[in-house]
Amino acid sequence: MTDLLTIAGLRTVFRTHGGEIAAVDGVDLSVPRGRTLGIVGESGCGKSVLSLSVMRLVAHPGRVATGSVTLDGRDLLKLSNADMRDVRGSQVAMIFQEPMTSLNPVHTVGFQITEAMRAHDTHASKAELKNRAIEALKRVRIPAPERRFDEYPHQLSGGMRQRVMIAMALACSPKLLIADEPTTALDVTVQAQILDLLRDLQQETGMSIILITHDLGVVAEMADDVAVMYAGRVVERGAAGAVFADPMHPYTLGLLGSVPRLDEERETLLAIEGSVPPPFALPKGCRFHPRCPFAVDACKSEQPPLRMLADGHQAACIRAPVEAFVA
Amino acid sequence: MSDTLLEVTGLAKHYPVREGLILARQVGVVRAVDGVSFTVNRGETLALVGESGCGKSTTARLVLRLIEPSAGTINFEGVNVTRSAGAAQRAMRRRMQIVFQDPYASLNPRLTVADTIAEPMIVHGIGDTASRRKRVEELLGLVGLRPFHAQRYPHEFSGGQRQRIGIARALSVQPDLVVCDEPVSALDVSIQAQVVNLLKDLQRRFGLAYLFIAHDLAVVKHVADRVAVMYLGQIVETARKGDLFTTPRHPYTRALLAAIPHPDPQRRGQVKPLGGDVPSPMNPPPGCRFHTRCPFAQERCRIEAPALRRMADGHEAACHFAETLPPAGLDFSGGLSEIAAKRLALYARALAA
Repeated sequence: MTDLLTIAGLRTVFRTHGGEIAAVDGVDLSVPRGRTLGIVGESGCGKSVLSLSVMRLVAHPGRVATGSVTLDGRDLLKLSNADMRDVRGSQVAMIFQEPMTSLNPVHTVGFQITEAMRAHDTHASKAELKNRAIEALKRVRIPAPERRFDEYPHQLSGGMRQRVMIAMALACSPKLLIADEPTTALDVTVQAQILDLLRDLQQETGMSIILITHDLGVVAEMADDVAVMYAGRVVERGAAGAVFADPMHPYTLGLLGSVPRLDEERETLLAIEGSVPPPFALPKGCRFHPRCPFAVDACKSEQPPLRMLADGHQAACIRAPVEAFVA
Repeated sequence: MSDTLLEVTGLAKHYPVREGLILARQVGVVRAVDGVSFTVNRGETLALVGESGCGKSTTARLVLRLIEPSAGTINFEGVNVTRSAGAAQRAMRRRMQIVFQDPYASLNPRLTVADTIAEPMIVHGIGDTASRRKRVEELLGLVGLRPFHAQRYPHEFSGGQRQRIGIARALSVQPDLVVCDEPVSALDVSIQAQVVNLLKDLQRRFGLAYLFIAHDLAVVKHVADRVAVMYLGQIVETARKGDLFTTPRHPYTRALLAAIPHPDPQRRGQVKPLGGDVPSPMNPPPGCRFHTRCPFAQERCRIEAPALRRMADGHEAACHFAETLPPAGLDFSGGLSEIAAKRLALYARALAA
């Protein structure tokens, strides 16, 4: 009832010489109002294609094959292109990993922010837009916003650029912000500043956030709910507290084991063997089975569905929780 | 035990900044590295950590003389190699190798893996074709690749595998010191762990010394013996790893440690971000370079630059008030829940089996 966004049965495919491959393959997720969903996974797990599918920005030869993306009761996948353009920016906005490549180097910061505003408000005067842009810069705590308005992206540091991106994304007060690895390119002290800012802005505006990241620390810091993706599918989802305290899927365990922790010292890190399979060479059965230390024959034939293992906590593994199967 | 392999004293690299096209006149100096001193002992790992632009990668390249220092000396096994040239320099370079950050850009796409790994041996005139081929096979096995990989090209490999190739190439000439310039920061977490484990394993087997450049303190905590923290071209703190993480003396080190997000939602919101940005190395602040962002800064910090001072038990810090700062109040404990730890143990056991 309070879900802002519901994704159901989403499947995004790319046409290749070898036939269609699914980068996102049957994903169900929801984001409640005012909350943050963290999507975790490694390169190639489909988390970025998922967010582009929500924005309907998947480029040719990719397309959303099946499923629905319902925002506030409207299926975004059924909207006309013109209606979808209205939704982008004003309802759903996105920020990306590389603040330098997502900003246009030949336009001033001010021009780029007012550009987004103008797209949704054709009547506002130039002076009014400028005031609103400076307000937006102030909101993301950029010092001397009047001066920054006339500067170019190369004159800003990485953290400042990401703030500009956030200011631009929030210029039209969207209900949902999709942040795709927003702090991956930044230093840790700057990362802490940006995460702090996102949290404060969420409190102020009540927006929902989808935070896409490979960093479990960032997810733990920010997310209310977590979805772990592997090879185009969600393998575990639940409240952040539950997923970290009671990790069910072997892939989630592997990720937790791979992260060097500050609170302990281990001789060797618990690595996951091998690497994520490319979408054109997916293994049969559970997609994680070739890398899974708990895999048995049944894992090789049947693709396990997500099943409820605890209150609101699902995992797609027939061997979860592992202690029930491995003594 | 403390058998010094590399000793660097007062190392500096200043880049002139010019303006104008033809009669370019110098308008300033970027002090990328500004008076850095440290030692690396045989078989140990010294980590150089800091944020982008602090000069850690420049320091690494200066040590290898891939760029020439503006000042300072580099001693390798007690021999001054700062100005060595010709055969002496080549001999030194055989013993110091490097693993680069970007496994995509640091391998020649037109060379097979075998040729890539054999190239340093050819440069240094080691062995003949047959013995080099044998050595390549041996190295591939060492870094966890298969013999049939030798005839393949870099594009056929994933990021983690490419990094293994880069490591094999560095080890081909049996160096004593390997400079690892952010070797795992371009890799996914699960792959990061594989490469970190490999580096540690190789160090144990061959007694390698690592100069490990990194910005991720959690990784550093895992691989380093000693840590040097850099800020704006200077070292602000060095200590044995345990000391640095339990009792960081410099406010900047504390800020770095406090900024690391902890993989535990119970502890959310404990990160207190440091304000501001790193100042420009062209115009560093007077006095202590950190004073513009330091929560403990006082009048003296704005005027007088603090020197790196030796404190208890080999711990060094460049802060006027290092002894009198309030306790850091860092607490990294209590990450894993009981059930998660139990399942991880089962995972480790199943992995070993």
